[in-house]
Amino acid sequence: MKITESVRISWRAITGHKLRSTLTTLGLIIGIGAVIVFMVLGGGFEGDILGDVEEEEEPLVQVTTQTTPEDGFGVQFIQTPIYTQSDVEALETRDRVEYVAPQASLSAVQLSHGDERLLSSGGFGGEFGVDATVPEWFEDEFVDVVEGDVFDGEDEAVVNELLVERFDEPLSVGDELSIRLEDDTETTVEVSGIVDDDTGDLLTPTVYLPIEPHYRTTIETPGGTQERGYSMLVVAGSDFEELDELQDDVETFFESDSDAQHLKDEDHTIQVQTVEDIVEQVTDIIDQFALLLGGIAGISLLVGSIGIANIMIVSVTERTREIGIMKAVGARKRDIVQLFLVESLILGIIGAVFGVLVGLGGGYLGIWFLGWPMAYPVDWVVIAVVVGVVVGVLSGLYPAWRAASVDPIEALRRE
Amino acid sequence: MTRAGSAHELTGETDGSALVSMRDVRRTYFLGEPVHALDGVSLSLPEGSFTAVMGPSGSGKSTLMNMLGCLDTPDAGVVEISGENVMELSGSERARLRGTELGFIFQQFNLLPRLTAAENVTMPMVFHSAVEENRRDRAQQLLERVGLGDRLDHTPPELSGGQRQRVAIARALVNEPSLILADEPTGNLDTDTGAEIMGIFSELHEEGRTILMVTHERHIAEQAEQIIHLVDGEIEEVETLEETGGESA
Repeated sequence: MKITESVRISWRAITGHKLRSTLTTLGLIIGIGAVIVFMVLGGGFEGDILGDVEEEEEPLVQVTTQTTPEDGFGVQFIQTPIYTQSDVEALETRDRVEYVAPQASLSAVQLSHGDERLLSSGGFGGEFGVDATVPEWFEDEFVDVVEGDVFDGEDEAVVNELLVERFDEPLSVGDELSIRLEDDTETTVEVSGIVDDDTGDLLTPTVYLPIEPHYRTTIETPGGTQERGYSMLVVAGSDFEELDELQDDVETFFESDSDAQHLKDEDHTIQVQTVEDIVEQVTDIIDQFALLLGGIAGISLLVGSIGIANIMIVSVTERTREIGIMKAVGARKRDIVQLFLVESLILGIIGAVFGVLVGLGGGYLGIWFLGWPMAYPVDWVVIAVVVGVVVGVLSGLYPAWRAASVDPIEALRRE
Repeated sequence: MTRAGSAHELTGETDGSALVSMRDVRRTYFLGEPVHALDGVSLSLPEGSFTAVMGPSGSGKSTLMNMLGCLDTPDAGVVEISGENVMELSGSERARLRGTELGFIFQQFNLLPRLTAAENVTMPMVFHSAVEENRRDRAQQLLERVGLGDRLDHTPPELSGGQRQRVAIARALVNEPSLILADEPTGNLDTDTGAEIMGIFSELHEEGRTILMVTHERHIAEQAEQIIHLVDGEIEEVETLEETGGESA
């Protein structure tokens, strides 16, 4: 029997039981739809975080302290200042290093702009953060100066776009900001520039101040002296072609007798990453989450396939007589197998197609709601359709075999 | 008007030139104790013959029908259809034989309820025919032949019993089979409709088709050329009718 014939006959059987066919494919639609929704959201989140990262081919590496959280998911950035001034200076003497831009957090409690006040809960992830750094830090590829300029004098500050929107009356270049630090000292600065620093670990409204004179925190070095300590560094080389060598160089430096190596906790690691590494890391983390959620959603795929198998078995029982008739007029075993396999295959494909549509639609709604860029997880759409086909065939195998084994004599005797 | 022959005479008549022949066919079912559904049956159906099979229920009529219909295979003996030994054929070869050499007509009509009359008629072509374009024409031609030229797109539930049986007859003819097997074709029809259906059988016989029909009604059986009487799985008597004189009987 030709495939087109069995498609025609199977389609007739499916449309002959519209409600049943709909309910049968629903499990698959929900399963595939949910998987696609999570993949769209994951992709959108990734696009939101990494969309602005330009491959500017700057010879930069980022040095951060990281650890794996107890739940095993993602990565945790440690803000403890362990990179001493001596480390910074030692790094700067290296051949390939052009400059080192350190960064550290200041503990601020209140931020005022005109009559408006923001209160910090104190610590990372609060309502706002205050970081101290050097102008070179803004050459990092994750940061784009969108308005104004990097701070030049000690009374100037750079703010990120998230902070601008945090005030009812948005900040603009030239505005004054008052910052009260934990030690109750108050500093007033003028906004010199606004940056877009939308990176994965920096989703906090932030004010950037020059290290000189605002950052005064010192730590005790292994050598016993008191020095400024920073929580992260950006190390710039001179030649993009030598980025790998620069990365190796910096890694070697920190693995050897650096202050940071001695100061860091045992279960923390010093990561020296290129932009490419960071993008990859962020992508990996988001993919991990998307996969976890997608995996849970995938369970309903299993339920869906059981549903198809179940309805196909019922259908075989119901159509035993029809199978007998078809056999009597010349249908071979393989014709019957083909008929039932094609039927469950069609159900699987319908489930997959509608699942993809539902998933893209649901994902689009979520993306629109969250204000992220839309993502089209093409690979997952392909996977979903393949899964639909596989589920269709697998769940049809046993019923088809049962149908083919129907004894026409028995079947025709049945009422 | 009738002339009786014995089972042994019929056995002696069996020869290789017959369209369909059975030689010493045995079939035993085990339902607690062995039941000899067919116990050494031999017969031959020459081309163009019209044979009726009669017998009480449990006499082996259905088993005989299933043997000739390639739905069942004998435990012993030989069944030959158009020169092919059914026992030596694979499952799909027997299916091919059913689709191309045999045409079934059942008491229950056995049409597929979701398909139209035309689609039911051409169903055997789905499994054993390459040409798709001619199907509609073929259905039209055959349904006209059985007097249903205006019912091509009706589904079985929209047709009367007699009309359904006409569709079934058209289906049995679609692949120009060598042998038509009819199992109580009038059993579910009222007398008048049954007579109309038997009229079609007579016409098919006149066209030279080979027919084997199982029935328990004497007046239906008398339209055939010979009646095989089955009792307890054996041929008790073969009755040869001189002419197809159903109307006068």
